[in-house]
Amino acid sequence: MKLEELRKIRERAEAEMRLRAGQARVKIVVGMGTSGIAAGARQVLRAILDEVAQRNLRDVLVTQTGEKGLSAKEPLVEVHEPGRIAIYGDVDEATARRIVVEHVLHGRVLEDHLVELREVSP
Amino acid sequence: MTVEDIAFHLADLVANAVRAGARRVEIELVRDGPEFRVRVADDGAGMDGDAQRRAGDPFFTTKPGRRIGLGLALFRQTAEALGGVFRVVSQPGVGTRVEARFPWNHPDRPPLGDLVATLVPLLATSPVEFRLVFRDDRTTWSLDTREIRQTLGDVPLSHPEVFSFLERELRRALVELGWKEEG
Repeated sequence: MKLEELRKIRERAEAEMRLRAGQARVKIVVGMGTSGIAAGARQVLRAILDEVAQRNLRDVLVTQTGEKGLSAKEPLVEVHEPGRIAIYGDVDEATARRIVVEHVLHGRVLEDHLVELREVSP
Repeated sequence: MTVEDIAFHLADLVANAVRAGARRVEIELVRDGPEFRVRVADDGAGMDGDAQRRAGDPFFTTKPGRRIGLGLALFRQTAEALGGVFRVVSQPGVGTRVEARFPWNHPDRPPLGDLVATLVPLLATSPVEFRLVFRDDRTTWSLDTREIRQTLGDVPLSHPEVFSFLERELRRALVELGWKEEG
């Protein structure tokens, strides 16, 4: 493995992080249990990471969780923002990309795949 | 993409390890002469003897609220249908090791699947450290996320440039091993 290449990436990324100095504004959580994976969660996670990278969304954290008991609607994706959590179901690659663009970037909830929209104390 | 390819089984085993509270997961793919070996070892909660005997039984799960834990059962079925061997070795408080061995050239062997698109997102977003070893008679390739994290400092593995780096490294390894044809 080329650790030298990683060191260079670190230098660039740290300089960039100093400029932003902010915390993650949005957290995207992909359900990666057995049924989620079988239903396509891998492709969904990949698509979300790709879209976030392409659009250079540096205040977005992408993470994963296990099963949540909503297996019938998997793959599931949650979007955590200050004040609200949106849970999307039956997410495919195209929907995953829409979630990043329409919801995370423009703040518009996707009604067609929404399972639950929960208010939380910020 | 085939659902039950090797990449699927790996993702499933990693999910099990994460659920078991593992902090470290080792994934080993070895082509040893005519045999292919898949081994995933974690340092999670582990299972007692009873749970181990039942691991791989499609109607058994310890997960609350779920009656069917299909992942291990599917993998066992796949390995045994190929005339291979499937073993789960586990100890409460120590961890679990799952190993499947079967002939590489069997016509019904599941394809590797897209290992890059499956493993890199898991490496980048899982709350565990990974060690990957891909090996055949000539070549050994390995990756350790702890080592990568030490080199990266506060820069996360999901950072776009790091993510691309991981994809490139894995792809390079698969080409070197000649495992690319099934991607």
